[in-house]
Amino acid sequence: MVSKFWAALLLIIYGFFSYLLVTISLQYIPYDTDVAFLRIKQDVIDILFYKLAFFTHVYTAVFVIPAGFTQFSGYIRRKFPLIHKYVGRVYAFVVIFLAGPSGFYMGIFANGGISAQISFCLLAILWIYFTVLAVSRVKQGNIKSHREFLIRSFALTLSAITLRAWKYLIVFAFEPRPMDVYEIVAWLGWIPNLIIAEIIIRKFVKSKKSNEYFD
Amino acid sequence: MKKILMMIMAISLIASCNKTSENTASKIGNSPDTATSSEKTTQEKNTPSANQNQNSPVLGTYTGGFEASEFNETKDYVYENRITISIDSVGEDTIDGHSVVAGNNRPFKGKFKQEGKSLKAEVAEPGDDQYDGKFSFTVDADGKTISGTWTSNDKKLAVTKRKYSLNKKQFKYDASQGLPTDVQWTSLYEKNPKFPDQVEALTEDVTKINASAKELTKKDVENMYKGDLEVIRNAIYARHGYSFKNRRMRFIFDQFVPWYMPLNTDIRSNLTEIEKKNIDLIKRYEEHAEKYYDEYGR
Repeated sequence: MVSKFWAALLLIIYGFFSYLLVTISLQYIPYDTDVAFLRIKQDVIDILFYKLAFFTHVYTAVFVIPAGFTQFSGYIRRKFPLIHKYVGRVYAFVVIFLAGPSGFYMGIFANGGISAQISFCLLAILWIYFTVLAVSRVKQGNIKSHREFLIRSFALTLSAITLRAWKYLIVFAFEPRPMDVYEIVAWLGWIPNLIIAEIIIRKFVKSKKSNEYFD
Repeated sequence: MKKILMMIMAISLIASCNKTSENTASKIGNSPDTATSSEKTTQEKNTPSANQNQNSPVLGTYTGGFEASEFNETKDYVYENRITISIDSVGEDTIDGHSVVAGNNRPFKGKFKQEGKSLKAEVAEPGDDQYDGKFSFTVDADGKTISGTWTSNDKKLAVTKRKYSLNKKQFKYDASQGLPTDVQWTSLYEKNPKFPDQVEALTEDVTKINASAKELTKKDVENMYKGDLEVIRNAIYARHGYSFKNRRMRFIFDQFVPWYMPLNTDIRSNLTEIEKKNIDLIKRYEEHAEKYYDEYGR
């Protein structure tokens, strides 16, 4: 599917955005309930479960990032299968038990009104669902299905990057009001990702062609 | 005999207590929001306690435009600011007061002559500040208007002479004062230094919310533009007579808000509880709205 050149380019781009995600997470160290995003969440931060969910999310979600570098590489999977296995397990564990559920709970209180709240909760549910199925498929030995579900799961992981990229572009182009932007990117941040994931699955994974990077 | 003497002494002591130097009539306005300590106390020390006309109609505050009449076009100058001149005391031929403009509160003192029904005064600011100068003005007998000129001491300043024609206005804090519709059609003159290419236009939101009148909730402010939020927050300060040092907000209040009169350079101790809460809330959403421009993150 992708030659080494494109693979390298994608990895560099992914690396850049991963760096940005890490810097966002670092804003919350040291522990402070009135910093960055929490500055406009003072009406809910005192809810114990919200506090728990928020800090679980910002402290653990970053650990899904390494999977983007290792899991799609056929080379690593063949040469270092244990890396694939253990990085995969970390990814799955974080999504299913930490970042996913906490994301769902935070979604209930999302900025941008009921539409954004529905979007983030749906995103969390699907993220967990695809990842759970991916784990179950690999245990059954169904590698093809394992790949497909992880492409979907990772497409949703990438929403952390795409949502912010859309926000940047939309503000740059249209300068809408802050919460209006939220409402828009809450959906725009992941729906296109899923659509692209489905296209990739249908065009490339189902085909018999052997893939340079992705095999 | 001794008892009578003691009584006479006691009575005369009590009688003299009532003659405390009552300078309150000559101080600006009667509201609690008037100018803060240091500038005023030095004036009190300087004014002679004898021969003061404490009930002169000339005493009080006058507000209006302070226009540049001689300026260096090649320099960065401001054409007009709103000024408040306060006449704090008048003696036989002496006159003392202070002026508040563009975040500066400077005392002045000098002499005056009676000319018909008016007072013609020549006063000078202390001279130890680079923007100090001399005022030359005429106050009408009823104490309703002041007009004249001001000349700077430093001839190298961007503006070396200004003229003014001010009207008597007593400051009164009014939490219900809103912003006129003119404000919503304007843009912020001074650019936000972080985003120098952006012109920030205000919207009708600035006329909808009064942050001094009632406690705001996040629903009121979360979807507002940063420029609007900034003006709404600074309107709180303007209601207390805050004199803005920075042009960004000053231009709005000086040029578009008729009730605004600069009176104090520090109004923090005058803020009400509702105002303090609203300031905190608005600042949070101002920061948030600002981050939405040109920043990747949340």
